[in-house]
Amino acid sequence: MQNIRAQFPILKRKVNGKPLAYFDNAATTQKPVSVIDALTRFYREANAPVHRSVYSLGVEATERYEEVRTEVQKFINAKHAEEIIFTGGATESLNIVASSFSEAFLKAGDTVLVGDSDHHAVIVPWQAVAEKKKLKLTFIPVADNGVIDLAAYKTLLKTKPKFVALTYISNVLGVINPVKEMTALAHKAGAAVMIDAAQSVAHTPIDVQKLNCDFLAFSGHKMYGPTGVGVLYGKKELLERMPPRTFGGNMIAEVTREKTTYAPLPAKFEAGTPPIAEVIGLGEAIRFIQKIGFKAIQKTEGELTAYALKSFAKIPELSLLGSKNAQNRIPVFSFIMCGVHPHDIATLLDREGISVRAGHHCAEVLHRRFSITASVRASLTFYNTKAEIDRLREALIRTVKKFNG
Amino acid sequence: MDNSDIYREEILSQYRNPQNFGVMKRPSRESYKVNPLCGDGIRLQILLTPKGVVKKVRFSGTGCAISIAAASLLTSWMEGKSLAQLKRLKPESVQKLLGVEVGPARHKCLFLSFEALRDILGV
Ligand SMILES: Cc1ncc(COP(=O)(O)O)c(C=O)c1O
Repeated sequence: MQNIRAQFPILKRKVNGKPLAYFDNAATTQKPVSVIDALTRFYREANAPVHRSVYSLGVEATERYEEVRTEVQKFINAKHAEEIIFTGGATESLNIVASSFSEAFLKAGDTVLVGDSDHHAVIVPWQAVAEKKKLKLTFIPVADNGVIDLAAYKTLLKTKPKFVALTYISNVLGVINPVKEMTALAHKAGAAVMIDAAQSVAHTPIDVQKLNCDFLAFSGHKMYGPTGVGVLYGKKELLERMPPRTFGGNMIAEVTREKTTYAPLPAKFEAGTPPIAEVIGLGEAIRFIQKIGFKAIQKTEGELTAYALKSFAKIPELSLLGSKNAQNRIPVFSFIMCGVHPHDIATLLDREGISVRAGHHCAEVLHRRFSITASVRASLTFYNTKAEIDRLREALIRTVKKFNG
Repeated sequence: MDNSDIYREEILSQYRNPQNFGVMKRPSRESYKVNPLCGDGIRLQILLTPKGVVKKVRFSGTGCAISIAAASLLTSWMEGKSLAQLKRLKPESVQKLLGVEVGPARHKCLFLSFEALRDILGV
Protein backbone atom coordinates (compact mmCIF):
# COMPACT_ATOMS: atom_id res chain seq x y z
CA MET A 1 0.00 0.00 0.00
CA GLN A 2 3.05 2.28 0.34
CA ASN A 3 3.28 3.01 -3.35
CA ILE A 4 -0.50 3.36 -3.50
CA ARG A 5 -0.21 6.84 -1.99
CA ALA A 6 2.19 7.83 -4.75
CA GLN A 7 -0.56 7.14 -7.26
CA PHE A 8 -2.68 9.96 -5.82
CA PRO A 9 -1.02 13.25 -6.81
CA ILE A 10 -3.24 15.36 -4.54
CA LEU A 11 -1.98 13.59 -1.43
CA LYS A 12 1.33 15.38 -1.90
CA ARG A 13 -0.16 18.82 -1.51
CA LYS A 14 -0.17 21.05 1.50
CA VAL A 15 -3.18 22.71 3.06
CA ASN A 16 -2.64 25.74 5.27
CA GLY A 17 1.06 24.99 5.24
CA LYS A 18 0.63 21.42 6.51
CA PRO A 19 0.60 18.15 4.61
CA LEU A 20 -2.93 17.25 3.61
CA ALA A 21 -4.57 14.51 5.68
CA TYR A 22 -7.71 13.79 3.71
CA PHE A 23 -10.44 12.25 5.85
CA ASP A 24 -13.50 12.99 3.73
CA ASN A 25 -13.49 9.91 1.55
CA ALA A 26 -17.12 9.09 2.27
CA ALA A 27 -18.01 12.34 0.53
CA THR A 28 -15.66 11.82 -2.37
CA THR A 29 -12.44 9.88 -2.80
CA GLN A 30 -9.31 11.27 -4.40
CA LYS A 31 -8.35 10.12 -7.89
CA PRO A 32 -5.37 8.02 -8.92
CA VAL A 33 -3.17 9.03 -11.85
CA SER A 34 -4.62 6.26 -14.01
CA VAL A 35 -8.12 7.73 -13.76
CA ILE A 36 -6.94 11.30 -14.29
CA ASP A 37 -4.93 10.18 -17.32
CA ALA A 38 -7.85 8.23 -18.75
CA LEU A 39 -9.93 11.41 -18.73
CA THR A 40 -7.32 13.57 -20.40
CA ARG A 41 -6.41 10.82 -22.84
CA PHE A 42 -10.03 10.53 -23.88
CA TYR A 43 -10.37 14.26 -24.49
CA ARG A 44 -7.00 14.50 -26.26
CA GLU A 45 -7.29 11.43 -28.44
CA ALA A 46 -10.71 9.87 -28.53
CA ASN A 47 -13.48 12.39 -27.85
CA ALA A 48 -16.60 11.78 -29.93
CA PRO A 49 -20.30 11.28 -29.34
CA VAL A 50 -21.58 7.79 -28.67
CA HIS A 51 -24.31 5.72 -30.29
CA ARG A 52 -25.02 7.82 -33.38
CA SER A 53 -21.93 7.97 -35.49
CA VAL A 54 -20.93 6.30 -38.70
CA TYR A 55 -17.36 7.58 -38.54
CA SER A 56 -14.57 5.64 -36.85
CA LEU A 57 -13.95 8.03 -33.97
CA GLY A 58 -17.59 7.84 -32.91
CA VAL A 59 -17.64 4.08 -33.28
CA GLU A 60 -14.52 3.78 -31.10
CA ALA A 61 -16.00 6.00 -28.40
CA THR A 62 -19.18 3.93 -28.44
CA GLU A 63 -17.18 0.73 -28.11
CA ARG A 64 -15.23 2.06 -25.15
CA TYR A 65 -18.40 3.33 -23.49
CA GLU A 66 -20.15 -0.01 -23.93
CA GLU A 67 -17.06 -1.91 -22.77
CA VAL A 68 -17.30 -0.11 -19.46
CA ARG A 69 -20.88 -1.25 -19.16
CA THR A 70 -19.62 -4.83 -19.39
CA GLU A 71 -16.87 -4.06 -16.87
CA VAL A 72 -19.44 -2.72 -14.41
CA GLN A 73 -21.60 -5.75 -15.08
CA LYS A 74 -18.71 -8.03 -14.12
CA PHE A 75 -17.70 -5.81 -11.19
CA ILE A 76 -21.07 -6.26 -9.48
CA ASN A 77 -21.83 -9.61 -11.15
CA ALA A 78 -25.03 -8.60 -12.92
CA LYS A 79 -26.62 -11.18 -15.16
CA HIS A 80 -27.05 -8.91 -18.18
CA ALA A 81 -25.11 -5.88 -19.43
CA GLU A 82 -28.34 -4.02 -20.16
CA GLU A 83 -29.16 -4.13 -16.45
CA ILE A 84 -26.44 -1.52 -16.00
CA ILE A 85 -27.73 2.03 -16.51
CA PHE A 86 -25.27 4.91 -16.49
CA THR A 87 -26.58 7.93 -14.61
CA GLY A 88 -25.17 11.16 -13.26
CA GLY A 89 -24.59 9.62 -9.83
CA ALA A 90 -26.13 7.62 -7.01
CA THR A 91 -28.62 10.40 -6.31
CA GLU A 92 -29.99 10.24 -9.84
CA SER A 93 -30.09 6.43 -9.75
CA LEU A 94 -32.04 6.45 -6.49
CA ASN A 95 -34.42 9.10 -7.82
CA ILE A 96 -35.11 7.13 -10.99
CA VAL A 97 -36.10 4.09 -8.95
CA ALA A 98 -38.38 6.04 -6.60
CA SER A 99 -40.15 7.83 -9.38
CA SER A 100 -40.29 5.12 -12.05
CA PHE A 101 -40.93 2.09 -9.82
CA SER A 102 -43.73 3.88 -8.00
CA GLU A 103 -45.33 4.94 -11.25
CA ALA A 104 -45.21 1.41 -12.65
CA PHE A 105 -46.11 -0.66 -9.61
CA LEU A 106 -47.48 1.30 -6.65
CA LYS A 107 -50.89 2.66 -5.83
CA ALA A 108 -52.40 4.82 -3.09
CA GLY A 109 -52.23 3.18 0.33
CA ASP A 110 -49.20 0.99 -0.45
CA THR A 111 -46.46 0.90 2.16
CA VAL A 112 -42.81 1.69 1.46
CA LEU A 113 -40.01 1.17 3.98
CA VAL A 114 -37.00 3.46 4.16
CA GLY A 115 -34.42 3.56 6.94
CA ASP A 116 -33.48 5.92 9.75
CA SER A 117 -29.87 5.66 8.64
CA ASP A 118 -30.62 6.35 4.98
CA HIS A 119 -29.06 9.22 3.12
CA HIS A 120 -31.31 12.12 2.06
CA ALA A 121 -30.91 10.81 -1.50
CA VAL A 122 -33.08 7.85 -0.46
CA ILE A 123 -35.46 9.47 2.02
CA VAL A 124 -36.35 12.65 0.16
CA PRO A 125 -37.29 11.14 -3.26
CA TRP A 126 -39.53 8.62 -1.50
CA GLN A 127 -41.12 11.34 0.60
CA ALA A 128 -41.89 13.28 -2.55
CA VAL A 129 -43.29 10.22 -4.31
CA ALA A 130 -45.26 9.16 -1.22
CA GLU A 131 -46.91 12.54 -1.04
CA LYS A 132 -47.82 12.52 -4.71
CA LYS A 133 -49.07 8.94 -4.81
CA LYS A 134 -50.48 8.80 -1.26
CA LEU A 135 -48.14 6.01 -0.19
CA LYS A 136 -47.42 5.18 3.41
CA LEU A 137 -43.76 5.76 4.24
CA THR A 138 -42.42 3.94 7.29
CA PHE A 139 -38.92 4.18 8.76
CA ILE A 140 -36.87 1.15 9.73
CA PRO A 141 -35.18 2.04 13.03
CA VAL A 142 -31.48 1.57 13.77
CA ALA A 143 -30.20 0.01 16.97
CA ASP A 144 -27.79 1.94 19.22
CA ASN A 145 -24.82 0.26 17.55
CA GLY A 146 -25.97 1.79 14.26
CA VAL A 147 -27.06 -1.41 12.53
CA ILE A 148 -30.60 -1.65 11.24
CA ASP A 149 -32.79 -3.09 14.00
CA LEU A 150 -33.57 -6.53 12.56
CA ALA A 151 -36.35 -7.38 15.00
CA ALA A 152 -38.13 -4.11 14.28
CA TYR A 153 -37.56 -4.67 10.57
CA LYS A 154 -39.23 -8.09 10.71
CA THR A 155 -42.21 -6.57 12.47
CA LEU A 156 -42.47 -3.84 9.84
CA LEU A 157 -42.45 -6.44 7.08
CA LYS A 158 -45.71 -7.77 8.50
CA THR A 159 -47.35 -4.58 7.21
CA LYS A 160 -46.72 -6.04 3.73
CA PRO A 161 -44.69 -3.22 2.20
CA LYS A 162 -44.41 -3.19 -1.58
CA PHE A 163 -40.97 -1.64 -1.62
CA VAL A 164 -38.02 -1.58 0.76
CA ALA A 165 -35.00 0.76 0.55
CA LEU A 166 -31.88 -0.51 2.30
CA THR A 167 -28.56 1.16 2.95
CA TYR A 168 -25.63 -1.18 2.53
CA ILE A 169 -23.30 0.93 4.67
CA SER A 170 -24.34 4.09 6.49
CA ASN A 171 -22.34 7.10 5.38
CA VAL A 172 -22.36 8.34 8.98
CA LEU A 173 -21.81 5.22 11.04
CA GLY A 174 -19.78 3.03 8.70
CA VAL A 175 -21.53 -0.14 9.85
CA ILE A 176 -22.34 -2.83 7.33
CA ASN A 177 -26.00 -3.81 7.33
CA PRO A 178 -27.02 -7.43 6.70
CA VAL A 179 -28.57 -6.49 3.36
CA LYS A 180 -28.55 -9.99 1.89
CA GLU A 181 -30.59 -11.41 4.73
CA MET A 182 -32.83 -8.34 4.76
CA THR A 183 -33.45 -8.60 1.02
CA ALA A 184 -34.52 -12.23 1.37
CA LEU A 185 -36.90 -11.27 4.19
CA ALA A 186 -38.36 -8.44 2.14
CA HIS A 187 -38.89 -10.68 -0.86
CA LYS A 188 -40.67 -13.20 1.32
CA ALA A 189 -42.98 -10.40 2.44
CA GLY A 190 -43.63 -9.51 -1.19
CA ALA A 191 -41.58 -6.32 -1.49
CA ALA A 192 -39.08 -5.22 -4.12
CA VAL A 193 -35.70 -4.13 -2.71
CA MET A 194 -33.37 -1.28 -3.57
CA ILE A 195 -29.89 -1.15 -2.06
CA ASP A 196 -28.00 2.11 -1.73
CA ALA A 197 -24.44 0.91 -2.19
CA ALA A 198 -22.84 4.37 -2.45
CA GLN A 199 -20.67 3.75 0.60
CA SER A 200 -19.90 0.09 0.10
CA VAL A 201 -18.82 0.01 -3.51
CA ALA A 202 -15.22 1.08 -2.77
CA HIS A 203 -14.85 -1.10 0.33
CA THR A 204 -16.60 -4.42 -0.18
CA PRO A 205 -17.14 -6.64 -3.20
CA ILE A 206 -20.71 -6.52 -4.53
CA ASP A 207 -22.55 -9.41 -6.11
CA VAL A 208 -26.05 -8.36 -7.10
CA GLN A 209 -27.07 -11.91 -7.99
CA LYS A 210 -26.07 -13.19 -4.56
CA LEU A 211 -27.70 -10.22 -2.85
CA ASN A 212 -30.67 -10.82 -5.13
CA CYS A 213 -31.66 -7.16 -4.80
CA ASP A 214 -33.95 -5.67 -7.42
CA PHE A 215 -32.07 -2.38 -7.65
CA LEU A 216 -28.69 -1.11 -6.55
CA ALA A 217 -27.15 2.35 -6.86
CA PHE A 218 -23.69 3.88 -6.52
CA SER A 219 -21.54 6.80 -7.68
CA GLY A 220 -18.23 6.76 -9.54
CA HIS A 221 -16.64 9.53 -7.50
CA LYS A 222 -16.78 7.59 -4.23
CA MET A 223 -14.76 4.77 -5.79
CA TYR A 224 -11.77 6.72 -7.14
CA GLY A 225 -13.58 7.61 -10.37
CA PRO A 226 -14.78 10.94 -11.74
CA THR A 227 -17.76 12.95 -10.53
CA GLY A 228 -20.80 13.13 -12.78
CA VAL A 229 -21.23 9.41 -13.35
CA GLY A 230 -23.11 6.78 -11.41
CA VAL A 231 -24.72 3.43 -11.91
CA LEU A 232 -28.21 2.12 -11.53
CA TYR A 233 -28.46 -1.63 -11.54
CA GLY A 234 -31.95 -3.07 -11.94
CA LYS A 235 -33.32 -6.49 -12.70
CA LYS A 236 -34.12 -6.63 -16.38
CA GLU A 237 -37.69 -7.83 -15.99
CA LEU A 238 -38.45 -4.88 -13.69
CA LEU A 239 -36.61 -2.18 -15.65
CA GLU A 240 -38.38 -3.34 -18.80
CA ARG A 241 -41.75 -2.67 -17.21
CA MET A 242 -40.76 0.71 -15.77
CA PRO A 243 -41.27 4.02 -17.60
CA PRO A 244 -38.31 6.26 -18.51
CA ARG A 245 -37.74 9.36 -16.38
CA THR A 246 -35.95 11.60 -18.82
CA PHE A 247 -37.02 11.99 -22.40
CA GLY A 248 -35.05 13.01 -25.46
CA GLY A 249 -32.43 11.64 -27.77
CA ASN A 250 -31.03 8.11 -27.51
CA MET A 251 -33.93 6.78 -25.44
CA ILE A 252 -36.36 6.46 -28.34
CA ALA A 253 -37.14 3.76 -30.87
CA GLU A 254 -39.33 5.84 -33.16
CA VAL A 255 -40.75 9.34 -32.98
CA THR A 256 -43.71 10.54 -35.00
CA ARG A 257 -46.02 13.51 -34.48
CA GLU A 258 -48.52 11.23 -32.87
CA LYS A 259 -46.44 8.98 -30.72
CA THR A 260 -43.03 7.92 -29.52
CA THR A 261 -41.90 4.41 -28.77
CA TYR A 262 -38.99 3.91 -26.43
CA ALA A 263 -35.69 2.18 -26.99
CA PRO A 264 -34.97 -1.10 -25.23
CA LEU A 265 -32.71 -1.25 -22.16
CA PRO A 266 -30.37 0.31 -21.27
CA ALA A 267 -30.94 3.23 -23.68
CA LYS A 268 -34.48 3.76 -22.37
CA PHE A 269 -33.01 5.22 -19.19
CA GLU A 270 -30.09 7.06 -20.81
CA ALA A 271 -31.59 10.06 -22.56
CA GLY A 272 -29.31 12.64 -24.14
CA THR A 273 -25.56 12.67 -24.49
CA PRO A 274 -24.19 10.71 -21.56
CA PRO A 275 -21.09 11.57 -19.46
CA ILE A 276 -18.81 9.71 -21.88
CA ALA A 277 -15.41 10.65 -20.49
CA GLU A 278 -16.68 10.03 -16.97
CA VAL A 279 -17.92 6.56 -17.87
CA ILE A 280 -14.51 5.78 -19.33
CA GLY A 281 -12.92 7.15 -16.15
CA LEU A 282 -15.22 4.90 -14.13
CA GLY A 283 -13.97 1.91 -16.08
CA GLU A 284 -10.42 2.91 -15.19
CA ALA A 285 -11.41 3.26 -11.51
CA ILE A 286 -12.80 -0.27 -11.52
CA ARG A 287 -9.53 -1.52 -12.98
CA PHE A 288 -7.64 0.39 -10.29
CA ILE A 289 -9.68 -1.24 -7.52
CA GLN A 290 -9.38 -4.68 -9.05
CA LYS A 291 -5.63 -4.35 -9.39
CA ILE A 292 -5.30 -3.79 -5.66
CA GLY A 293 -8.06 -6.28 -4.91
CA PHE A 294 -10.70 -6.16 -2.20
CA LYS A 295 -8.72 -8.57 -0.05
CA ALA A 296 -5.82 -6.13 0.27
CA ILE A 297 -8.19 -3.18 0.60
CA GLN A 298 -10.08 -4.81 3.44
CA LYS A 299 -6.90 -5.85 5.22
CA THR A 300 -5.47 -2.32 5.21
CA GLU A 301 -8.78 -0.68 6.02
CA GLY A 302 -9.40 -3.17 8.83
CA GLU A 303 -6.07 -2.21 10.40
CA LEU A 304 -6.85 1.48 10.06
CA THR A 305 -10.27 0.89 11.62
CA ALA A 306 -8.83 -0.87 14.64
CA TYR A 307 -6.14 1.78 15.06
CA ALA A 308 -8.58 4.67 14.75
CA LEU A 309 -11.00 3.13 17.26
CA LYS A 310 -8.15 2.67 19.71
CA SER A 311 -7.02 6.26 19.20
CA PHE A 312 -10.52 7.67 19.68
CA ALA A 313 -10.96 5.66 22.87
CA LYS A 314 -8.02 7.62 24.31
CA ILE A 315 -9.97 10.88 24.10
CA PRO A 316 -12.47 10.94 26.97
CA GLU A 317 -14.42 13.91 25.54
CA LEU A 318 -15.09 12.08 22.29
CA SER A 319 -18.26 10.03 21.80
CA LEU A 320 -18.47 7.92 18.72
CA LEU A 321 -21.86 7.36 17.11
CA GLY A 322 -22.80 3.74 16.61
CA SER A 323 -20.56 0.72 16.87
CA LYS A 324 -17.23 0.90 18.72
CA ASN A 325 -16.33 -2.49 17.38
CA ALA A 326 -13.82 -2.96 14.56
CA GLN A 327 -15.79 -5.87 13.10
CA ASN A 328 -18.35 -5.49 10.38
CA ARG A 329 -17.58 -1.91 9.52
CA ILE A 330 -15.52 0.34 7.28
CA PRO A 331 -13.28 3.16 8.56
CA VAL A 332 -16.01 5.80 8.61
CA PHE A 333 -16.36 7.43 12.03
CA SER A 334 -18.74 10.11 13.20
CA PHE A 335 -18.42 11.61 16.62
CA ILE A 336 -19.23 14.53 18.82
CA MET A 337 -16.98 16.14 21.40
CA CYS A 338 -18.03 17.50 24.72
CA GLY A 339 -18.06 21.30 24.68
CA VAL A 340 -16.98 21.83 21.07
CA HIS A 341 -19.29 22.21 18.12
CA PRO A 342 -18.51 20.02 15.05
CA HIS A 343 -18.03 23.05 12.81
CA ASP A 344 -15.45 24.51 15.15
CA ILE A 345 -13.63 21.20 15.26
CA ALA A 346 -13.57 21.00 11.46
CA THR A 347 -12.23 24.55 11.15
CA LEU A 348 -9.52 23.97 13.73
CA LEU A 349 -8.47 20.67 12.14
CA ASP A 350 -8.39 22.32 8.74
CA ARG A 351 -5.72 24.68 10.00
CA GLU A 352 -3.57 21.65 10.58
CA GLY A 353 -4.18 20.35 7.09
CA ILE A 354 -6.74 17.79 8.24
CA SER A 355 -9.93 17.61 6.15
CA VAL A 356 -12.93 16.26 8.04
CA ARG A 357 -16.60 16.82 7.51
CA ALA A 358 -18.89 18.59 9.98
CA GLY A 359 -22.66 18.68 9.85
CA HIS A 360 -25.39 16.10 9.42
CA HIS A 361 -23.79 14.49 6.34
CA CYS A 362 -27.15 14.37 4.53
CA ALA A 363 -28.57 12.15 7.26
CA GLU A 364 -30.66 14.43 9.44
CA VAL A 365 -33.08 11.68 10.41
CA LEU A 366 -30.22 9.60 11.78
CA HIS A 367 -28.79 12.53 13.74
CA ARG A 368 -32.17 13.19 15.31
CA ARG A 369 -32.31 9.50 16.18
CA PHE A 370 -29.16 10.06 18.22
CA SER A 371 -30.60 13.35 19.59
CA ILE A 372 -27.95 15.57 18.04
CA THR A 373 -27.97 18.05 15.19
CA ALA A 374 -24.48 17.58 13.85
CA SER A 375 -21.34 15.51 14.15
CA VAL A 376 -17.77 15.39 12.90
CA ARG A 377 -17.01 12.68 10.39
CA ALA A 378 -13.59 11.25 9.60
CA SER A 379 -13.88 8.80 6.73
CA LEU A 380 -10.78 6.89 5.76
CA THR A 381 -9.73 4.68 2.96
CA PHE A 382 -6.71 2.52 2.23
CA TYR A 383 -4.45 5.43 1.32
CA ASN A 384 -4.78 6.96 4.78
CA THR A 385 -2.10 6.13 7.32
CA LYS A 386 -1.70 5.51 11.03
CA ALA A 387 0.52 8.60 11.18
CA GLU A 388 -2.41 10.64 9.87
CA ILE A 389 -4.67 9.14 12.54
CA ASP A 390 -2.07 10.20 15.14
CA ARG A 391 -2.19 13.74 13.79
CA LEU A 392 -5.98 13.66 14.00
CA ARG A 393 -5.94 12.41 17.58
CA GLU A 394 -3.43 15.03 18.70
CA ALA A 395 -5.29 17.83 16.93
CA LEU A 396 -8.55 16.75 18.56
CA ILE A 397 -6.96 16.81 22.00
CA ARG A 398 -5.58 20.31 21.34
CA THR A 399 -9.03 21.45 20.18
CA VAL A 400 -10.72 20.28 23.34
CA LYS A 401 -8.05 22.00 25.45
CA LYS A 402 -8.49 25.26 23.60
CA PHE A 403 -12.25 25.25 24.02
CA ASN A 404 -12.65 23.85 27.44
CA GLY A 405 -9.77 25.92 28.75
CA MET B 1 -3.19 39.11 19.36
CA ASP B 2 -3.70 37.38 16.04
CA ASN B 3 -6.68 39.09 14.40
CA SER B 4 -7.08 36.30 11.91
CA ASP B 5 -7.72 33.81 14.68
CA ILE B 6 -11.44 33.27 14.77
CA TYR B 7 -10.93 31.26 17.92
CA ARG B 8 -9.19 33.91 19.94
CA GLU B 9 -10.13 34.22 23.57
CA GLU B 10 -12.71 37.05 23.24
CA ILE B 11 -14.74 34.98 20.84
CA LEU B 12 -14.50 31.81 22.88
CA SER B 13 -15.64 33.69 25.97
CA GLN B 14 -18.64 35.10 24.06
CA TYR B 15 -19.39 31.51 23.14
CA ARG B 16 -19.06 30.24 26.69
CA ASN B 17 -21.05 33.12 28.18
CA PRO B 18 -23.20 34.62 25.46
CA GLN B 19 -25.02 37.88 26.11
CA ASN B 20 -28.80 38.08 25.67
CA PHE B 21 -29.10 34.31 25.63
CA GLY B 22 -32.54 33.15 26.64
CA VAL B 23 -36.19 33.19 25.74
CA MET B 24 -38.63 36.09 26.09
CA LYS B 25 -42.30 35.43 26.92
CA ARG B 26 -43.94 38.13 24.81
CA PRO B 27 -41.67 39.42 22.08
CA SER B 28 -42.93 41.98 19.57
CA ARG B 29 -41.37 39.95 16.78
CA GLU B 30 -39.33 36.80 16.41
CA SER B 31 -37.78 34.51 13.85
CA TYR B 32 -36.15 31.09 13.78
CA LYS B 33 -33.45 30.30 11.25
CA VAL B 34 -31.75 26.99 10.57
CA ASN B 35 -28.33 26.40 9.10
CA PRO B 36 -29.07 23.66 6.56
CA LEU B 37 -25.46 22.48 6.64
CA CYS B 38 -25.59 21.28 10.22
CA GLY B 39 -29.16 21.61 11.41
CA ASP B 40 -28.29 24.23 14.02
CA GLY B 41 -30.97 26.79 14.63
CA ILE B 42 -31.15 30.21 16.25
CA ARG B 43 -34.31 31.88 17.48
CA LEU B 44 -34.13 35.64 17.69
CA GLN B 45 -36.70 37.71 19.59
CA ILE B 46 -37.06 41.44 19.97
CA LEU B 47 -39.23 43.63 22.15
CA LEU B 48 -39.93 47.08 20.69
CA THR B 49 -40.98 50.33 22.31
CA PRO B 50 -44.09 51.99 20.80
CA LYS B 51 -41.69 54.15 18.79
CA GLY B 52 -40.04 51.11 17.25
CA VAL B 53 -36.84 51.09 19.26
CA VAL B 54 -35.37 47.81 20.45
CA LYS B 55 -35.93 47.56 24.19
CA LYS B 56 -34.85 43.99 24.71
CA VAL B 57 -33.32 41.20 22.59
CA ARG B 58 -33.01 37.51 23.26
CA PHE B 59 -31.63 34.65 21.28
CA SER B 60 -31.69 30.92 21.91
CA GLY B 61 -30.83 27.68 20.19
CA THR B 62 -27.75 25.65 19.43
CA GLY B 63 -24.72 26.64 17.44
CA CYS B 64 -20.99 26.66 17.03
CA ALA B 65 -18.60 29.21 18.51
CA ILE B 66 -18.92 31.44 15.46
CA SER B 67 -22.71 31.51 15.29
CA ILE B 68 -23.14 31.94 19.04
CA ALA B 69 -20.45 34.62 19.39
CA ALA B 70 -21.89 36.47 16.39
CA ALA B 71 -25.41 36.29 17.82
CA SER B 72 -24.15 37.48 21.19
CA LEU B 73 -22.39 40.50 19.69
CA LEU B 74 -25.17 41.26 17.23
CA THR B 75 -27.87 41.24 19.89
CA SER B 76 -25.80 43.53 22.12
CA TRP B 77 -25.42 45.94 19.25
CA MET B 78 -29.15 45.80 18.51
CA GLU B 79 -30.22 47.08 21.92
CA GLY B 80 -31.45 50.67 21.73
CA LYS B 81 -31.40 50.76 17.92
CA SER B 82 -34.41 51.83 15.86
CA LEU B 83 -35.92 49.59 13.20
CA ALA B 84 -34.52 51.93 10.55
CA GLN B 85 -31.03 51.51 12.00
CA LEU B 86 -31.42 47.75 12.08
CA LYS B 87 -32.46 47.75 8.45
CA ARG B 88 -29.30 49.58 7.47
CA LEU B 89 -27.04 46.95 9.05
CA LYS B 90 -24.86 45.35 6.41
CA PRO B 91 -23.36 41.85 6.45
CA GLU B 92 -19.89 43.39 6.57
CA SER B 93 -20.83 45.14 9.78
CA VAL B 94 -21.62 41.79 11.39
CA GLN B 95 -18.18 40.64 10.35
CA LYS B 96 -16.79 43.83 11.96
CA LEU B 97 -18.67 43.24 15.20
CA LEU B 98 -16.86 39.96 15.49
CA GLY B 99 -13.57 41.68 14.73
CA VAL B 100 -12.14 38.84 12.68
CA GLU B 101 -12.25 37.65 9.13
CA VAL B 102 -14.46 34.59 8.85
CA GLY B 103 -13.87 32.58 5.69
CA PRO B 104 -16.67 31.69 3.26
CA ALA B 105 -16.86 28.12 4.60
CA ARG B 106 -18.27 29.53 7.83
CA HIS B 107 -20.46 32.36 6.49
CA LYS B 108 -23.62 30.36 7.16
CA CYS B 109 -22.59 30.18 10.82
CA LEU B 110 -21.56 33.82 11.01
CA PHE B 111 -24.77 35.15 9.46
CA LEU B 112 -27.32 32.83 11.08
CA SER B 113 -28.54 35.42 13.61
CA PHE B 114 -28.25 38.17 10.99
CA GLU B 115 -30.56 36.17 8.73
CA ALA B 116 -33.04 35.85 11.56
CA LEU B 117 -32.85 39.61 12.01
CA ARG B 118 -33.46 40.20 8.29
CA ASP B 119 -36.45 37.90 8.54
CA ILE B 120 -37.83 39.83 11.53
CA LEU B 121 -37.43 43.05 9.56
CA GLY B 122 -39.02 41.55 6.48
CA VAL B 123 -36.09 42.45 4.26
C1 LIG C 1 -25.15 6.46 1.50
C2 LIG C 1 -25.18 7.45 0.38
N1 LIG C 1 -26.17 7.41 -0.51
C3 LIG C 1 -26.23 8.27 -1.54
C4 LIG C 1 -25.29 9.25 -1.73
C5 LIG C 1 -25.44 10.18 -2.87
O1 LIG C 1 -24.35 10.09 -3.74
P1 LIG C 1 -24.07 11.24 -4.79
O2 LIG C 1 -24.01 12.52 -4.02
O3 LIG C 1 -22.77 10.86 -5.40
O4 LIG C 1 -25.18 11.22 -5.79
C6 LIG C 1 -24.23 9.34 -0.81
C7 LIG C 1 -23.19 10.36 -0.91
O5 LIG C 1 -23.31 11.52 -0.71
C8 LIG C 1 -24.19 8.42 0.27
O6 LIG C 1 -23.21 8.49 1.18
